[in-house]
Amino acid sequence: MRSIKLQVILGSAAVVAVLGFLLVWAPGANRPSGTGQPLVLYCAAGMNPPVAEIIRDYENQFGVTVAVQYGGSGTLLSNLRVAKTGDLYLAADASFIEIAREQGLIAETIPLATLRPVIAALRGNPRKIQSARDLLREDVRVALGSPDAASIGKQTQTAMTKVGLWENLRQAVQTRGVFKPTVNDIANDIKIGTVDAGVVWDAVARQYPELEIVAPLTDDPDFVMEVMVAVLRSSRQPTEALRFARYLSARDKGLVVFTRHHYTVVEGDVWAREPQILLFSGSVNRPAIESTLNAFEQREGCKLLRVYNGCGILVAQMKAGARPDVYFACDSSFVPPVQDLFLNPMDVSEMEILIAVPKGNPRGIGSLADLAKEGLKLGVANAEQSALGALTERMLEAAGLLRGIMANVRSQTPTGDLLVNQLRAGGLDAVIVYEANLAQVREHLDFVRIDLPGAKAIQPYAIARDSRCRHLAQRLLDAVTSAESQEKYRKAGFRWLYRRDL
Amino acid sequence: MISESPIDNQESRIELSAPDHRVRSDAPFVVGLCLLGSIYVLLIAGMLLANLSFTAPGNFLAALRSPEIRYAIRLSLLSCSITAVLSLWVAVPIGYLMSRFSFRGKALVDALLDIPIVLPPLVIGLSLLILFRTPVGQFIERFIPMTYAVPGIILAQWMVGCAFAVRTMRTTFDQINPRQEQVALTLGCSRSEAFWQIVLPQARRGLLAAGTLAWARALGEFGPILIFSGATRLRTEVMPTSVFLELSVGNIEAAVAVSLLMVIAAVVVLLLVRVFGRPTAW
Repeated sequence: MRSIKLQVILGSAAVVAVLGFLLVWAPGANRPSGTGQPLVLYCAAGMNPPVAEIIRDYENQFGVTVAVQYGGSGTLLSNLRVAKTGDLYLAADASFIEIAREQGLIAETIPLATLRPVIAALRGNPRKIQSARDLLREDVRVALGSPDAASIGKQTQTAMTKVGLWENLRQAVQTRGVFKPTVNDIANDIKIGTVDAGVVWDAVARQYPELEIVAPLTDDPDFVMEVMVAVLRSSRQPTEALRFARYLSARDKGLVVFTRHHYTVVEGDVWAREPQILLFSGSVNRPAIESTLNAFEQREGCKLLRVYNGCGILVAQMKAGARPDVYFACDSSFVPPVQDLFLNPMDVSEMEILIAVPKGNPRGIGSLADLAKEGLKLGVANAEQSALGALTERMLEAAGLLRGIMANVRSQTPTGDLLVNQLRAGGLDAVIVYEANLAQVREHLDFVRIDLPGAKAIQPYAIARDSRCRHLAQRLLDAVTSAESQEKYRKAGFRWLYRRDL
Repeated sequence: MISESPIDNQESRIELSAPDHRVRSDAPFVVGLCLLGSIYVLLIAGMLLANLSFTAPGNFLAALRSPEIRYAIRLSLLSCSITAVLSLWVAVPIGYLMSRFSFRGKALVDALLDIPIVLPPLVIGLSLLILFRTPVGQFIERFIPMTYAVPGIILAQWMVGCAFAVRTMRTTFDQINPRQEQVALTLGCSRSEAFWQIVLPQARRGLLAAGTLAWARALGEFGPILIFSGATRLRTEVMPTSVFLELSVGNIEAAVAVSLLMVIAAVVVLLLVRVFGRPTAW
């Protein structure tokens, strides 16, 4: 009896041990070849061919292992939400990224390609389908994406509702067609011949040699979907994750492969292991952005070459041929002279210009006009050396006060801080400075607001048209306009202007 | 020694009481059975043939040449076999307990044991994923990586396969007449001795059936693995995952080829088990 018992217990244990050993000793297994943890990428299964190819190149080049979880975009989204691990998420289209963003799962996004809904049929188009209207025909069986599960379905619904065909189409599909959960299911149905036509993304249709795009679903340019890769908040190695995401989205690396797999790609950045951004910034921005820039550099694994200077000087440098990737001006008036170098500038913050006076306002100054009174000792910033000076001069000129006030000016300095110091030392009766110049000394001084439209500087952020790293520069803007950075701006005396949805 | 079984007695009694009974031909009965049964068998064969028509020898060779699919085949076969043995380890004790003992809450336990069979596979995967996010799960993961790892595949397969093995073992023990066991007990055997010496040898066919059932379930398992273990090529890709991945890029030919490879693997293993399971080894 002992022998039976031992035989069974030991025998089965030995079987498990041998099988387990065989499992561990897997010669073909994908082992982390690099030093660190593998990167975990959640990838829409339909994107498998180009992504697998790019990963192979990347692993060979950099010795970093990328472990991919393939699945439906929605399934993956649920997965990463529950698992709270992983580094990157590549969804079949941007709608899933949007949901993930709303759920607070996403840190950065980088666009890769664009998708358009098209009507596809078997090659040769046996049913002679010409337009969306033909999908209603009695002799045509149609597969559509389910509007609740697949974003191709949602897009189809919206596009068809817009032209008033949706209700009929829905009924036609309900009676003789089918709603499918993913775009590849639809393409597979057309390929097998279960349906005569279907609405799929153009890139998907082009990947099936058996399929033919017979017509765009709509001519409306609004119906374009982006394919994006996102870096997840759960990533414990965001720099590695971002580096891979940059490789994936580089116009001379990953996007070449996507193009070969029939995707319409975006204009990506040029690949660099450690990219550099040349940043021209007005000195006024420095206290608000410096720590954000440091954090960005560290997270992205990039270099930000910063040039802080008066904006007049920066403009002169650009006129002389300097080509920064990003220009963060002290005031929007310093953009037009170099506008043709840049894409649309985004206004980030604004800074009020006001009159600072000694505590208690002993000279009773109530408005800009009061500064022209005889016998006052004033300080203003130098118009050649600083944006504050140039703005002050322009403002006074517009108010017709330039001559009268300049007569009282006893001190002209390159920065507002120097003026504030002189005021506190007792040498001046009033100075015209930025509100930010008073941030540290509020309790020792009083100020008078200037009720004029010109009494403020607006700081726009502009990305160079032919920068090799426009998307990186865009992420820098995202970092500068994050909630955390807003708080730094507020502390530095700025007012916030940027609206993310604009 | 008992020389006559009660059945023999009954049969002789029937013949005695109905001497004029004319045995009619069995043919209509058997033909009827065959007709009904063939619907199902033909459908299975038809599916396989249709699959064959959608693929070509080239697709098989391509599938077999692909290192990803070779890895998936190997991982599938090994993980299923481990799952089968592990399932038996649990199914035998549960089946025996449920068959021989009654206790408070037995009905509830019985219902619980059916849950993995009733639940949609996706839900099992999701539940495992959530379970391993809890502190207990995290503690286990510190020693054995489960989420998105190979042990997770075995766990996911085992969760479902085991339920079938438990059902089978329970039925097996129910059908074994407890009399011999009781006799052994009265003759001085302990429960354990009676179990190992009397019950388990009689349950051999049941064990084989339970093991094969668990193995077969595990081979086809897909939903929980996709959710809980992911579909990482060369890591957690089992054969059903390969089918899914090929389908999701429209490569139906390769998907069918892998499906048929699965069929072949299953048939070969099930046949082997039947052949080697026949002789009375113990």
